[in-house]
Amino acid sequence: MPALFSEGFLLGLSTGFYCLASCLPLLAPYLLAEGRSAWKFNFGIFLQFLAGRFAAYMLFALLASLAGQAGRYALPAWALPLGMAGCGLLMAAMAAARVRGEAAPCLLRQDLNPYFKRLPLALGFLTGINICPPFAAGFVRLLELADIMKGFSYFGGFFAATSLFISPVLLGTPWLGRRANEIGRLTLLLAGLWYLALGLKGLIILY
Amino acid sequence: MNPLCTIEPGSEKGTTAGAAAVFSLLVFVPALFFASVIAGREISRYYALAWALFAGGTAFAIAYTGRVSAWRRLFFSLSALAFLFHFKSSLITGAPAPSCFADAPFCHIAMAPYFLNYLRQQYLALAGGGWALWGPLSLGAAWLFVTLALGRGWCSWACFYGGIDDGLSALPGRPLLKIDGWALKVRDLPAALLIFLLLVSLAYALPVYCLWLCPFKLTGSFLDGQGWHRTAQYALLLAALAALVIAPLLTKKRFFCSFLCPFAAWQAFWGRLNPFRLTAAADCNGCRACVAACPMTAIKCGPGGKAEILAYCNLCGQCLDACPRAGLRYTVFGLELPAAGGALGALLSVKYFYVFSALTLATAFSSLWAPAALRDLVKLIGG
Repeated sequence: MPALFSEGFLLGLSTGFYCLASCLPLLAPYLLAEGRSAWKFNFGIFLQFLAGRFAAYMLFALLASLAGQAGRYALPAWALPLGMAGCGLLMAAMAAARVRGEAAPCLLRQDLNPYFKRLPLALGFLTGINICPPFAAGFVRLLELADIMKGFSYFGGFFAATSLFISPVLLGTPWLGRRANEIGRLTLLLAGLWYLALGLKGLIILY
Repeated sequence: MNPLCTIEPGSEKGTTAGAAAVFSLLVFVPALFFASVIAGREISRYYALAWALFAGGTAFAIAYTGRVSAWRRLFFSLSALAFLFHFKSSLITGAPAPSCFADAPFCHIAMAPYFLNYLRQQYLALAGGGWALWGPLSLGAAWLFVTLALGRGWCSWACFYGGIDDGLSALPGRPLLKIDGWALKVRDLPAALLIFLLLVSLAYALPVYCLWLCPFKLTGSFLDGQGWHRTAQYALLLAALAALVIAPLLTKKRFFCSFLCPFAAWQAFWGRLNPFRLTAAADCNGCRACVAACPMTAIKCGPGGKAEILAYCNLCGQCLDACPRAGLRYTVFGLELPAAGGALGALLSVKYFYVFSALTLATAFSSLWAPAALRDLVKLIGG
């Protein structure tokens, strides 16, 4: 098991830059929009995002192992575009609710509902199920292994290593102010529309 | 306009003809040097001389009349038209090689949203010893020099997109569409677009701005293949072209530069390195003439009704001409130089230091295409 953790960790270390590039367009605008000039608060958002990613990875580890056991070696074709469209829709909706201003219905208002405070978690989860090339490589390995515990171990290592690459996104956040938040919301809207369009395009091509 | 404003707009005073001639000469000499070096390698130096004379003439007009923006706009728009004429005619005739434009390395607007990719290229060059990849670093050094010398002034003196936008925004007498109500609310859109493009360009290892938004590409040769992507890219190209060409005619604002250009946001951020500023006088009475005149939506009414210059100001000088109290000044970090006496003393002000810096640099940069465009025109007329 430790050997598989190391194998996943090494895969993450060697391909982490791609994870950084894939996750930045989602995480950076969110942090810019919702972050504050406080490390602790921003670190909380980051941890929630990572937790969402972790949950997605573990789910995939489970599904890949089960698929491997059942002798199926392919993902459903709709999984990636649907995840991408969902991610984009969530980002655009969050941004649109905030861009209109304080008087508009605000999805992320802190006293609205505790459930909505967990949105970074959902964003992390949706990011996790957007399959990037290194993730796909790990996924294929799990199909071969076809063992649930081994799958958890392998993807645990992969998650730990790739998280190291994503963490520098926190560096600039202690200087965030109200103006940066406003720019972040517009960025979140643009990025959301981009991913929504790409996801919908993928679904339209399929059906 | 506030009824208290009784002084006529454009009350900036010029210098004497002699001082203006000296200033013109000061601009002409370095302009001729740079134009000869840059353009003279491939075409006759007479074309370089003509362009340097035009720059010197612009300097004379600015100094003699004291009005920066009107003459700047003439130089700026002609430079941009020359780019359009030379670049596009070269593409149409399929003969860009004989021109000096062939040496222009890369569009400056693409530089900003592609910056993270440049960093990655530099990392790869360091790691792999691929020295051919060091090109972007020299481009980065050129940008740093421009930013230190000119800062945000790049967008009002040198940019060939901006010249089109600026020239067209000056054509209508009054705006057909008033956008003052919402313009400030979306003024940060270029900054958001810049961040988005930086991230997505890195993620996809593609120049996303060039593919999706650049209004200058009249050829589809480097767009994606046929299908949904290509249709969307053409639609966005037309939208960006409309923002560059039609929107300034309707709004009398530099629409593309104000709301879509990622390089404008980039330069607004890094332009702080440059010492030149536009500063409102302490006794500004808040008549808002400058707010209406600003083509970049970069002035708002601050606390106490005083004009507040935003970071997006590109020091074009339009507000100087519009202010009825001559209450706006070019400064160095908000400070003016002590007044000097004598006929030439008027030239020892921040305004003329800035105009000298901007005009010589813009002439040097535009020497990549303007003399060649003149040559194209002569050939076209002469058959």
